[in-house]
Amino acid sequence: MKNLWKTFKQGIIYENPLLMLMIGLCSALAVTSNVSNGIGMGLAMTFVLLFSEIFISLFRKSIPSSARMPIFIIIIAAFTTMVDLVMKAYFPELSKSMGVFIPLIVVNCIIMGRVEAFASKQKILPAIFDSFGMGLGYTWVLVGIAAVRELLGNGTFAGLQIMPQSYQPILFFILPPGGFLVFGLFISLNIWLKKRMQKPGKERA
Amino acid sequence: MKDNMKLGFILALFAAAACASLAVVYSVTGPAIAIQSEKALQESLKDIYPEAANFEDITASVKSSVEGVAIEQAFLVKSALAPLGVAVKAKGSSYGGAARMLVGVSLTRSIAGVRVLELNDTPGLGANAKSATYYVNKADKITFPGQYAGKYLTDAFEVKKDVAAITAATITSKALTVIVKAAADSAAAWLETSTLAAPGSESPAPAEAAAGTDATGGK
Repeated sequence: MKNLWKTFKQGIIYENPLLMLMIGLCSALAVTSNVSNGIGMGLAMTFVLLFSEIFISLFRKSIPSSARMPIFIIIIAAFTTMVDLVMKAYFPELSKSMGVFIPLIVVNCIIMGRVEAFASKQKILPAIFDSFGMGLGYTWVLVGIAAVRELLGNGTFAGLQIMPQSYQPILFFILPPGGFLVFGLFISLNIWLKKRMQKPGKERA
Repeated sequence: MKDNMKLGFILALFAAAACASLAVVYSVTGPAIAIQSEKALQESLKDIYPEAANFEDITASVKSSVEGVAIEQAFLVKSALAPLGVAVKAKGSSYGGAARMLVGVSLTRSIAGVRVLELNDTPGLGANAKSATYYVNKADKITFPGQYAGKYLTDAFEVKKDVAAITAATITSKALTVIVKAAADSAAAWLETSTLAAPGSESPAPAEAAAGTDATGGK
């Protein structure tokens, strides 16, 4: 149980997919111009990651290693398409605002990376914990970056006007360069957090 | 050789299983998706013409004159008493692929209203066109599609002149304006050929049908 908890925790700070492993960056920069997109993308990604990891971990013995990549892609793409269809059918509002990003989950390196590095070698239970940890790690960073960018670049938070009307939005933050800047700041924040948490002298594996 | 065959076989097996499960999901969600998009269309129609009672399908007789813009559906909108105008659902392409707009044209050849039905442009930039809280005119709270309402077809429909652009999304602004203009023009062209004001005097097929249902009133 302790190991499972550790696996879960890894993804949030120590091995945060975006800030430490530096994978899946393209989608992270693209969707973080407002908070609701960040939340939606994070949840959708976590869902696909969870089911892909479960299935690949389940079939890990019957997937030949020389044909594993195409098989992973097939499984990931199938789950992504299912998410897309289900959202269109039952959550049309959500699908309307994030329709563009869902197909992109297929090529999100985090899923491919975790499936390859973790799920294909582990039992189902650790794989589930890994996907939740990684998913949460991805989601909090998305929401964090989006909150900064939306607030400074548009004066709103999740669509609600926060800044006073007289505030002139700094468009720079909504545009890609602003995304890179905020992303860089989050990386340094994460490294600081990591160092701080290590200080009490506890040994880390 | 034998190994390769085996690999291919396993791959095919996974692909077939994925296809089968997708087919199942699609058959469940397919009808729901169709219902949702029909519902969205009906809501937008009602939104543009609040007093409308009846939408008569005239898709077959409305043609697009602009290349790249296709008319997918067209309706003659009628209240309980009289025709109100024509609504056209048009598809064109924008920055992020296909875009579908609903354009309402009133009998006075002005735009009754425009709604964005489908748009896949960059969130935070082009996608602001379908945001209900993004205003091209903050003081009067006018959204991007909202600004077309009341424009006459004789207007220029030029971005940055008589159409306000979305900040940092000029391509989207231009593409959507082209779709609106094309849809409105074809609606106007249809209005020219039909004679709604004097039913029966000329008799192109659509006008007659319109006159026919007119007498019976709305549903």
